[in-house]
Amino acid sequence: MTLADTKRHSSDTGAARGWLSKNLFSSPSNSVLTVVVGSFLFFVLYAAVKFIFFDADWTIISVNKRLIFLGRYPQGEEWRVWPPLWLVFGLGGLSYGLLARASRRDLVWLGVILAFILGFLAHGGVGLLFGGATLFAIAAYRVGRMAEDRPRLRSRLRRAVIVGWLVLIPFTVVMIAAFGGVRPALWGGLLLNVLLAIVGIGVGLPLGILLALARASSLPVLKAVSTAIIEVTRGGPLVAWLFISRFVLPAFLPDWLQVDPIISAMFIVSLFTGAYVAEIVRGGLQSVDPGQSEAAHALGLNTFNVTLFIVLPQAIRAVIPALISQMIALWKDTTLFTILGFTDALGGAEAAFSQTEFIGRQKEALLFIALLFWSGSLGMSRLSQRFEKVLGIGER
Amino acid sequence: MTDNDSIDARVPIIICEDVTVSFGDFQALKGISARVYEQEVVVIFGPSGSGKSTFIRTINRLEEHDGGRIVVDGIELNDDVGNLEQIRSEIGMVFQQFNLFPHLSVMRNITLAPQKVRGVPKQEAEEQAMELLERVGIPEQAQKFPTQLSGGQQQRVAIARALAMKPKIMLFDEPTSALDPEMIKEVLDVMGELAHSGMTMMIVTHEMGFAREVADRFLFFDEGLVVEEGTPEQIFTNPKEDRTKLFLSQIL
Repeated sequence: MTLADTKRHSSDTGAARGWLSKNLFSSPSNSVLTVVVGSFLFFVLYAAVKFIFFDADWTIISVNKRLIFLGRYPQGEEWRVWPPLWLVFGLGGLSYGLLARASRRDLVWLGVILAFILGFLAHGGVGLLFGGATLFAIAAYRVGRMAEDRPRLRSRLRRAVIVGWLVLIPFTVVMIAAFGGVRPALWGGLLLNVLLAIVGIGVGLPLGILLALARASSLPVLKAVSTAIIEVTRGGPLVAWLFISRFVLPAFLPDWLQVDPIISAMFIVSLFTGAYVAEIVRGGLQSVDPGQSEAAHALGLNTFNVTLFIVLPQAIRAVIPALISQMIALWKDTTLFTILGFTDALGGAEAAFSQTEFIGRQKEALLFIALLFWSGSLGMSRLSQRFEKVLGIGER
Repeated sequence: MTDNDSIDARVPIIICEDVTVSFGDFQALKGISARVYEQEVVVIFGPSGSGKSTFIRTINRLEEHDGGRIVVDGIELNDDVGNLEQIRSEIGMVFQQFNLFPHLSVMRNITLAPQKVRGVPKQEAEEQAMELLERVGIPEQAQKFPTQLSGGQQQRVAIARALAMKPKIMLFDEPTSALDPEMIKEVLDVMGELAHSGMTMMIVTHEMGFAREVADRFLFFDEGLVVEEGTPEQIFTNPKEDRTKLFLSQIL
């Protein structure tokens, strides 16, 4: 018997004790710390688990699902939400398939989230539609994987995906609002948060890149204008800008420029996100070695092509973690819109626990909202890690 | 290669007259006049800080001259952007730090400029890129990314990238200075082959053995001026200026 065998046989508790004494009880002060923090964690976790699985009454959620997810969105118009949602699922699956093989960890998370939604939230027709969307996403993922060894199909799909993501926002707005659809004032619930986030990212990201390029440009007027936009926008808190868009701006704008409060709110998030994205991207632009644009110029490429093909891709790659972090911040900031009286997911939850039969059930409602936002943030953070791996950041 | 008798009969492809360049208060070039003829190989050498890199970078306006004239292939270098892009597409440049595009494959590094500047169709650009990669001896690396290559391989890709634009002139700014010793030869071999094929070249280098073999003419730079100019023969066996003698004795 070798020494290692003897050790293993001598007992697993020995190994466990070794680990404990090394990591948790290495000195008297560490031992005290371990006991204090450990007991604190124990009591908090015990209380949380006890509440979630035994004391809580989750009927507040199942009764108010509609309020939380759709707010005051009118009955009978729900069908308008499904096509964009299916598009998102399909595009998501296809993009993932084109980028990478799903890791086991991602699959587990997706499985947990799906089981939760199907088991707890979506029943009947909604469950079927949702399950269908899921199957659709899986099929799209398979197609994306299949294209891995077929460069022509791959480049064609890649183009389709890019076009798909680009048309998503206009398509969604048209589906929901056009042809006797639902006017913006009635958009609500998580749907509103998602729409605000998507518009904020979809408009704010390109706007931010343009602002960053303008600020880095050598044309004084462009530079001054961009710097002014960025600094003024960043100079105020989002909440202040929202109030201004709602109560101050309409007083100064001519009648034909008066838009729905939600539209002006979308304008504000886009501008706000754009200003922060601009500064992140500017940092990325500065990190690109000047030799890169020299080499590209030396080949005869014009400034537009040098920026588009050489400088910008490298700049954005360098700042993906910071960009995603900005997107996550924006996602959660969409709850601030409740202060303008919109019923987003958080507003829906507040409305739910103001109902007489659910008084005192704030904990359940707020925990559920936290879960919704947390899973959105987690998804974006995982997506960021995927991107970084695929793009080979840190391997440069 | 050149034939000294006929050199004056040939057309100068680069003409520099009293070129000056300043960085703030510091004058890096104090009035350089030089001509480079078609198919000529000119080697520029001299101590560091003598302005030789600045000079070669001025030829394709990576540095702007503030005095004198530069005419390349009949086009004067000035603020006209159209002129500039045309001149740049006819001058290939190889840098000390390679400056390959790290986010693009070797193939894409080479095909990007022909496709975007010259409008060459993708397939044709790729075929041409493969020919060039074979010429520089690394066709098997086409699908790799620059960071997966050794320094010598990267510099050879950089040469292929410059050649893909079918330039009339190639500028080399210390092309082997960032390389490990064992990789210098593979790059010099490619440059030697290029010189023999009749390419007009301006080379800033400290590799005097190589320079002596390929150069038609040497320019010795010191403190922003051309101190001495001559054939390899004149420079190595009978330098006129004391500063040239001193510098050569230090590096040989």
